[in-house]
Amino acid sequence: MIRRLSFTAAGVVVVIVLVVAFVGLFMLRKPGPLEGTTTKLHLETVAAVGQANEWPRPNDPHPDWVGYLPTTTWKVPANSTIQVQIDQEDGASGLRNPFWGKVFGTEGGNMHVTYFDDKGNPQEGDMTSIDPTQAAHTFAIPDLGVFVPLLGVGDNAPPGTQNTITFSFKTRGPGIYRWQCFVPCAAGTLFGNGGPMQTIGYMGGTLIVT
Amino acid sequence: MGVFRIEEADRPHLLRLLIIWVVLSIVGILAALQIHYPPYDQSVQGLDQSRTLALLTVLATPVFIGVVIMVLYSAIYFRRTTTELVDGPPMLGNTPVQIAWIAISAVLVLFLAVFGIVTLASSNVAQAVGTPGRSIGQSGGQTGSGTIGGTGPELQVQVVAQQWYFTYRYADYGGVETTHLYLPVDRPVELHVTSLDIIHSFWAYQLGVKADANPGVDNIFHVTAQKTGSFQVRCAELCGLWHGHMADSEGQVVSQSEFDTWIAQQQKDYEVISKAVPSYAPFYFPEPLLKAG
Amino acid sequence: MVVPERVSERRLSIPNNAITGILFAIPGYFAGVWLGTLFGLNDDQNTGVILGYIFATVAFLAGVGFLNYPFERLFGWRVSPLTDPDENRGVGRFFRLSLDHKVIGLQYLVTILIMLLFGGIGAMMIRTSLLVPDSSITPSGNYISLIGLHSVMMIFITSAVIVGPFGNYLVPLMIGARRMAFPRLEALSFWVVPPAAVILAAATFWGGFPTGWTGYPPLSEQASQAMDSYIVGFALIAVALVTSAINMLATIIGLRAPGMTWTRLPMFVWGIFTTSILGLLAAPVLAAALFMLTLDRTTQTSFFLASNGGSNYLWENLFWFFGHPEVYIFILPAFGIIMEIVPHFARKPLWGYRTGVVGLFGVMLLSFFVWQHHLFVSGIAPVLRPFYMLSTELISIPTGIIFLVTLGTLWRARVWFTVPMLFCMGFLFNFLIGGVSGVYLSDVPTDVTLHGSYFSMAHFHYTIMGGEIFALMAAAYYWLPKMTGKMLSPTIGRIHFWWMFIAFNSTFFPLFIVGLLNMPRRVSSYDPALVGLNRWVTISAYFLFGSMVLFAANLIYSWFFVARPALANPWHARSLEWQVPTPVPARNFERVPLVVAGPYDYGIPNARPVADLGGVVGATGGG
Repeated sequence: MIRRLSFTAAGVVVVIVLVVAFVGLFMLRKPGPLEGTTTKLHLETVAAVGQANEWPRPNDPHPDWVGYLPTTTWKVPANSTIQVQIDQEDGASGLRNPFWGKVFGTEGGNMHVTYFDDKGNPQEGDMTSIDPTQAAHTFAIPDLGVFVPLLGVGDNAPPGTQNTITFSFKTRGPGIYRWQCFVPCAAGTLFGNGGPMQTIGYMGGTLIVT
Repeated sequence: MGVFRIEEADRPHLLRLLIIWVVLSIVGILAALQIHYPPYDQSVQGLDQSRTLALLTVLATPVFIGVVIMVLYSAIYFRRTTTELVDGPPMLGNTPVQIAWIAISAVLVLFLAVFGIVTLASSNVAQAVGTPGRSIGQSGGQTGSGTIGGTGPELQVQVVAQQWYFTYRYADYGGVETTHLYLPVDRPVELHVTSLDIIHSFWAYQLGVKADANPGVDNIFHVTAQKTGSFQVRCAELCGLWHGHMADSEGQVVSQSEFDTWIAQQQKDYEVISKAVPSYAPFYFPEPLLKAG
Repeated sequence: MVVPERVSERRLSIPNNAITGILFAIPGYFAGVWLGTLFGLNDDQNTGVILGYIFATVAFLAGVGFLNYPFERLFGWRVSPLTDPDENRGVGRFFRLSLDHKVIGLQYLVTILIMLLFGGIGAMMIRTSLLVPDSSITPSGNYISLIGLHSVMMIFITSAVIVGPFGNYLVPLMIGARRMAFPRLEALSFWVVPPAAVILAAATFWGGFPTGWTGYPPLSEQASQAMDSYIVGFALIAVALVTSAINMLATIIGLRAPGMTWTRLPMFVWGIFTTSILGLLAAPVLAAALFMLTLDRTTQTSFFLASNGGSNYLWENLFWFFGHPEVYIFILPAFGIIMEIVPHFARKPLWGYRTGVVGLFGVMLLSFFVWQHHLFVSGIAPVLRPFYMLSTELISIPTGIIFLVTLGTLWRARVWFTVPMLFCMGFLFNFLIGGVSGVYLSDVPTDVTLHGSYFSMAHFHYTIMGGEIFALMAAAYYWLPKMTGKMLSPTIGRIHFWWMFIAFNSTFFPLFIVGLLNMPRRVSSYDPALVGLNRWVTISAYFLFGSMVLFAANLIYSWFFVARPALANPWHARSLEWQVPTPVPARNFERVPLVVAGPYDYGIPNARPVADLGGVVGATGGG
């Protein structure tokens, strides 16, 4: 009887360990660290998270995936204006729905862009829309009505440079808001919408409004 | 009705069951009629659905109560009372009762089916029979109105699903694309639902509309809003990471004049991007199509 | 013709146990990945992963010993002896390739209960994350992976949970056969299930697949390598369904004892018979659809891509052509169990035996003509909708017959209220709600609102969990005394029933309301107005899980810690399987029995015992 009891107990322990491991895999595998609550977001978008000017992640499990850096989960205060600066280092790949070439939901309905034109000359200015085929990514928080297309780095731009996009938007009440990209930028997946586009930490994440 | 000869031993049971069943069924039906059934009455189609739900519940109540009291009655009255095992009466079946049971369920089912088909045939159902439901390929010939500015009384609105947001295009207003759905009250609307990538499902809950958005397909649904107010739009087909967030609570049913003001503003905003957006079509196959960067 | 003088003494001596299977499977996986990387058209690893899983499974089966017999026959070598059920009664036989249907039944039972635990844990995690309306407990991506794992794992389980353990163990005993018709196919139908479960679980290492159990393309073509787990795992389950179905049909048709006429066949065997026909005809369609999906994912064909000339409707139709019969594959054996158990405890003959059989066949036939009711809002041609609405509603007629037969059997009975009987009554209540809610979904106008909402989710949980799993519990409490030789504790059983019944209804009934109030399935964030109902459901779900733990405890307790063996016929039932001694002898019957009466002839004056067993000492039936 004691032998049976110990076998049963051992079996139960093994099952519990397996179950805890299984649960942990899902419940604990959450996206990267949060920044403190801030009204200024400084982000970087890159073609491969393994290689970036500011916050490279060479040890990432998918170093060749596109992504927003340094993280994709941000904490911001409720009902306040958030200033966003995005250093955009990726080339253009075009919007699936060209409609998103227009800027929605920012303060003033526009964004400020520093970029290089077709001839490689530096340019700067306010924009309310861009050529949809020239979009590299978008910064979109649909539940706040914010959709901002990010201009891709032109072919003639000096190597290693970036476009800088700045804009600001207003948050609403507390909650968890998802943000995503509308450019099908996940190379190698159907419609460019798999892989990094469907993995939090690359081209998707949440805006935690507190 | 000689075939339905009721055995002496069955009589008290049948009488009791009949009384309980009739009383409980009446109570149940009265209770079922007190419920307000979704999706309520913001649209003609929604009202139709909530009435059908009420009818189904009224029909289901006596059936449900009948079977449940049979089970409970057996559990209470046909329980063995002796300590030793005894066999029950060897009843092998009763053909008239079986025929009656099958006949009654067949009548119920056929009534429901005929009722459903009649409802479907009427034009104020979201997907009426005979209404073109989809068109595949350019030569489908069943595109409803795939052209800008259809002349029919119905407002042509296209729902464009993509991972993970719905946008809307108004064919009668130059194909203007908007981020929220506004509908004028009391005007029949023909919704053309399509997708740019994978399968989504456009669910406007309060309007009683649910239509899958398939790539390369123009799925047509009808809706006539009859009350102003806001409604919710959600995706009802699993579509990947943000499926659960693919929702918009800012849909609005507004008066015709408010709608005109709103659409004029939308057209003005749209100008800046209108050149880049492809002209209104039953569906779109944007690049990239395959696995490419 | 050259006749060899003697058969070669050579043998293919792969040891036939699970450990060599695992040892073979690991290099098999890497060989497949290597080949796939070498020849794959895409630079993603899908080809490699799919080949890896297939190679691993084949190598596992080889390691378990499936190749010995065919190769020895092929080369004219000496054939390894069949695993002789007379030898080796130890625990080790459960970890080897055994051709004894009783061993396979128990192997199935334990495997599936372990799978059920993980499926259930998945459900608990889903409910836990729905405690809050904003996906802050489980992130969105993990949530849809969980949905996929829970649903596919549960589909694997429910496909086999009755046919596997109880069908395999009991069908030969019930029809008076000494073995199955195709014991190797029967063993194969079991030995592909553990690899299928492991392959499915492997999806977590690729990040999980996002499609739920329906696997709709193009989403499933967009998904990561985790989708390959879904494809291969499901294909293995299709193999299990087909092999098990062929074996069951051949056994039931060919190996019935003399005198076991079709009208003396126990209802449970009829349930297995009809479900096997469904499995045989439906599962190959799934395999074909999965093969197309594999080609789309690995070799860039476009069966399901509208932009390249395919259509996602192709998958939807093929999948549901399998998928709807599949749900009747779940429920037909459950109908069989209910109609089998109720007469034994009502102590009355089955009321309308032939009508009941007609009901089973009616459900089976109609289930092939209803699949498009899953596609009412998908944009199918509108003229098809009335037909599928009618055919779907027609199914309620044969289903009603099952209720009629059961209620008729209870009429003026002397019901012996045992735990199996309680579960049968629970089944009747739950399945009634499941069936009635099905009518709401079959009506096109209401389906527009209900489709894809929690209403349909509650509907199929009422039919599968409230139906099939309640029938499974009835079967477990009824037949485990024969199978394990130990009675499950009736006291714990009663607590288990009431606990499970109340917790089940408290969990799933509110979900009908949640669905009516605008909550779609498979969402991690929902309308905050529904948070109260969702929390109620989650807490009830924890209780439901607790009731399953209680069942597991009862099972382990009775199996390992109850010293007193069960009686050979504790229920004083007439049917044949109770007339053999417990534990069941290796060859079931000393000689093939001669069946002389029906299994449900209770109360009939001068009814003969069910069979002439030729001197085997067993309990006498007939009460």
